[in-house]
This record gives sequence, C-alpha cells and structure tokens, in this order.
Amino acid sequence: MSILNEISENLQRGKAKIVKTLVQQAIEEGVPAKQILEEGLLSGMNIVGEKFKANEVFVPEVLVAARAMNMGTAVLKPLLAEDGVEASGKVCIGTVKGDLHDIGKNLVKMMMEGKGLEVVDLGVDVSPEQFVDAVQNQGCQIICCSALLTTTMGIMADVVKAAEAAGIRDSVKIMVGGAPVTEAFCQQIGADKYTPDAATAADVAVQLLAG
Amino acid sequence: MAKTARERFQLTLEHQDPGKTVVDLGSTPISGISANALDGLRKALGLPEARVKVDEPLQLLGMVEEDVRQALGLDIVGITPGTTMYGFQNRDWKPWKLQNGLDVLVPGDFNTTVDAEGRTYLYPQGDMSVPPAAVMPKGGYFFDNIIRGHVDYDDDDTPDGKADFFDDFGLYTDEQLRNIEETCNDYYNNTEYGLIGGGALAGLGDFAIIPGPANKHPKGIRDIPAFMVAHYTFPDYIHEIFEYQLEIGLKNAALFHQATGDKIQAMQISGTDFGMQTGPYMTLDSYREFYKPYHKRINDWVHQNTNWKTFYHTCGSIVAFLQDFHEAGIDILNPVQCSAAGMDPHMLKEQWGDKFVFWGGGIDTQKTLPFGTPEEVYREAMERLEIFSKNGGYIFNPIHNVQSHIAPENLLAFFRAVRDFNANR
Repeated sequence: MSILNEISENLQRGKAKIVKTLVQQAIEEGVPAKQILEEGLLSGMNIVGEKFKANEVFVPEVLVAARAMNMGTAVLKPLLAEDGVEASGKVCIGTVKGDLHDIGKNLVKMMMEGKGLEVVDLGVDVSPEQFVDAVQNQGCQIICCSALLTTTMGIMADVVKAAEAAGIRDSVKIMVGGAPVTEAFCQQIGADKYTPDAATAADVAVQLLAG
Repeated sequence: MAKTARERFQLTLEHQDPGKTVVDLGSTPISGISANALDGLRKALGLPEARVKVDEPLQLLGMVEEDVRQALGLDIVGITPGTTMYGFQNRDWKPWKLQNGLDVLVPGDFNTTVDAEGRTYLYPQGDMSVPPAAVMPKGGYFFDNIIRGHVDYDDDDTPDGKADFFDDFGLYTDEQLRNIEETCNDYYNNTEYGLIGGGALAGLGDFAIIPGPANKHPKGIRDIPAFMVAHYTFPDYIHEIFEYQLEIGLKNAALFHQATGDKIQAMQISGTDFGMQTGPYMTLDSYREFYKPYHKRINDWVHQNTNWKTFYHTCGSIVAFLQDFHEAGIDILNPVQCSAAGMDPHMLKEQWGDKFVFWGGGIDTQKTLPFGTPEEVYREAMERLEIFSKNGGYIFNPIHNVQSHIAPENLLAFFRAVRDFNANR
C-alpha cells in the first residue's frame, strides 16, 4: 500500500497519531505537500463523508476522522504555505442568533475542510450582520447558516435580508441547514441551497464554488 | 363502570385496549411544555390568572398543575425527587421574568446574572460564587449548558472516568426520598392519576448531563463532541463512567422502590438521544458495546424487583436500534419522532407496536404544531391517534416538549383531537 493510501486508511479509522507520523514520513520521502493533502488526507475524509451520507458511519466516526485530519494538516500547513497552495474557496459558517447548538455546524465545517475549503467559523449566536461582515471583510463566497430550533430558524430569513440590504446578495451564496430546516423553508426565505446533512453540504459548497 | 386514569394507564402499559386513549402533558421533563406556552394555554383555557412555575430550568418548562390537568383531561402525574438538573430543589418559589417579559415563578435557588450582551447565566446548586453552569442568549427561549473544567487528554494519558465524574451522581438524600414518598402517597391516595417515577436513573451519555450541570467544579471530558470521540480514544474511561453511573442508578432504583413500592407504574430510566434527524447518532456496534449492557442490567433489575415499566426517551431516527432496545428490556419509547428519517408511524405501530409502548408522536413539533393551522394540527393529531391507539400501547403527547412560541389555538386543537377521538370510543 502506498503511503498516501495508508494515510487515507488510518484517517478513516481515526488513528490520529499514526496519521501524523505517516504525514511526516511522506514529507521526508519527498512527496509534495499538496499531494499528501489531496491524495492522503482529503481523499480519506471524502470517503468518510460518503459513508456518513450512506449512514454507514455516524457523528463519532466523523469526529475522530476529522481529528486525525487536523493532526495531519497541522504538520502540512507550513509546507502548503511555502508552496503557495491555496484553499479552493472560502466559506463562513455559524449558528444563527439566539441558538447555541453547534454540533451540526461543526460537522459541516469539518466536512468542508475535508473538501479543501477554507472555513471561517463565526461560532454560535451569530447575528445577520456578522455573516455579512465576514463576506465583506474576509472575502467569504458562501454563507452557511445553521439552526436547531424552530424558534431560531426564522433568523435565517434575516440573514438573506441583511445580505440584500448590504448589496452583496448577488455575489454570495447562502446555504441553510439544521434539524427543522427544509427545502421548502429554504425557498420561502430566498436562500440558495438547503442540505440535509454535513457531507452533502460540503459537496454542494464545492459545486456552488465551481459555478 | 368507567375506568380510572390509573387503570387505563396500566392497561396501556400492558398493551391492552384502555378504551379511551391515555393523555399526557408534563408528567416528565420530556413530555412537557415551555412555561411561556403554558401561560398562553392557561389563558386560552380561561383558567384563573396565575404565574406559571418553572420546574425544569434548562428548558424553562412550566409545571402542569391540577387546573390544567382537569381542563385538558390529562391522565398521568410524575413523581420525582423534586431536584432540578442544576442540583437545587423545586421549592421556595420566587418571581422571575422570562426574556419576553412574562412573569413566572422559579425555585429559590434559581439564581441568575445578565451580562452586557444580554446573556443570562444560571448557577449550579444556585451557588453564585462559582462559574455559571448554563447560559441563555439574548432573545433565547431556554438555557444551554456551559462546558466547564473540560480536559483535553493526550492519547498517552490514562484518565479515570469514575474519578472525573464522581461528584456528578449521588444517592438520593433523605429529603429527596421524603419528597418522592409524600408526593407519591398524596397522588396515589387522593387522585386516580396514573403515576410515573422520574429521575433518569441511568441517563448514560446524555448530552444534558455530560457537562455536569449540577456540579460546581466539573472535570474530565465534558465537551460533547470530545465525549463522543472518547468512545474511540478512551473506551475504558467511558465504561468507568457508565459503570459508576449505573451503580448509583441501581441503588437509587432500590431506594425509589422502597419509597413508592408499586404505586408508580413506570419509571424514567434514560433521556439519552440515540438518533438525529437523518439517522442514528452512533453505530449499532457502539450501542451494543457501550450502552446496551448497562440498559439491560437496570431494566432487568426493574423487571425482577418491581412491576414498573421502563421509560426511555430518545429523539431522532432510531429504527436501526429498535430490536436491540427490545432485547435490552426497554418497554416505553418517547418521544417517537415520526419526523425523523424512517420513523413512519404506520411502520412503527405495525412492526413494533406489540413490543413498545409509544409515548409521544402525537404531532410533528418541527412543522405542524409551530407552523400549521389549528385545522392541520387537529387533522394530524387525529391521524396519529387512529394509527397508534389500536390495541393499546399508546400515550398521546406531542413529539417532545411544546416550545415557547406555540400558539394556544394550536394546542387547543391538539387536545380537542384526543377529546373527540375518545368521545367516539
């Protein structure tokens, strides 16, 4: 098995320390950092995402895999910067105002990072203005809003309105998700995409960025 | 002669036709109603003006009292130690305001502060000299636990689960046992309500419990995602916590039984969620390794030593776990989240209706109850009653607690459905 396959396999099993050692070893063997990232780490995370969509693995497995990915990318980061490797797109994500639930939001972030996207995490209890600010001042191309509650999902409509009021609506895509959110709700508030799970959210973000 | 609520509850639990379907609101902290919604409901029912008591601080649930039970025709009452999740007793009521300005009553040790951003903080055991245990954002409707004392253990560490969670679980105190005994005897002797014991005897891995809401100084793995990861990285740690929690849970079950005997008919064992909207939270293998053995031990104890039925709450899509839940000795499932993937009410009743009592499922609380018209609520509730009530084994209740912003008209329609349904039986 090639070392990149080994990295992917161990990442899928959540073996963080082994992944870290293998990434280090691959660097020493002269494998380019970008190749280690894409064919080792992201490839492994991609498989985890597919299995998550198919209900073959669940939240804990995604969390342990993401932990392994983060340990691997921490080793690679300085080299990627040196080589001028950039993320394939920039997304901001947050749980909307009044809502403090972030497990789902964090899963989406992990899956998006697993697709090579840069994710600006705005945290929880995020106001519509904060989402708009991330687009205007940090160059985010997609806004991702999460809500767990029927009492807070309505804030997503305010995010769409705030983007319109700020004059950025045409230059940003708005994605929505969370337990009570539906496709019909997404259309009703004028957001761009609803996705039912974290892995699909990451796929859709990549598609949106590809135009 | 017409059967009493208690008799109908017992028949329901034994999967026999109770005649009229049993109705619950507020007998458990997962089949209740937000204080704000309860206030609206009281007014819509024309009940005397009274401040709602918040008896469950995390979700700001309102105490369903006798006048509401009478007005709605409710059948079940919860018998509890009277202790909240934050470790203080439900007594010495004092005034407090919800964020929308509604005047309510809260327990004497329900102590809060508000920061400059308008976030409200709640303190463990009411002790304001230690960091707060929960926070509610400005404009929020309930509290969420704050992660305190979390330790990110290194892979080479060998953390001790029992030591870290030692202060989180304890035997019932004399005061708690007296509370259980007195309220049980009061309701048993002076009313005809069905009775369920409350206390979540073995809420293993419950997201609401992991942060240690009643603990003034939690330590160890308290962050919820980290706790899930620990099932892989520190499996012994998870087993140590669950073993200790179960040891206390079994002793408390025995104490509860000494205090109530078989006057109570069912007992809440766990509120841990095993499902989410789209599927289970974990693999079936994880359930079998980390949860099922403990569930089986406490359920076996209950079945061998009492006449109680075992009540488990789990949200979400849990179809894949039902066979294992049955093998583990789970009798009652709540809240029957029919809105989650694969949780079709017909399928649940036809394939699992002889194995589980379904407690909930009466209305979709993510769509119909909050956003539907009263007519839509009535129609859906009636459909669910038709499906689930066949041959007993059903307790009518919404899917989980009624949220703060629910219109009283929709709640009235919900309860009108069961009144009409029962009138025709």
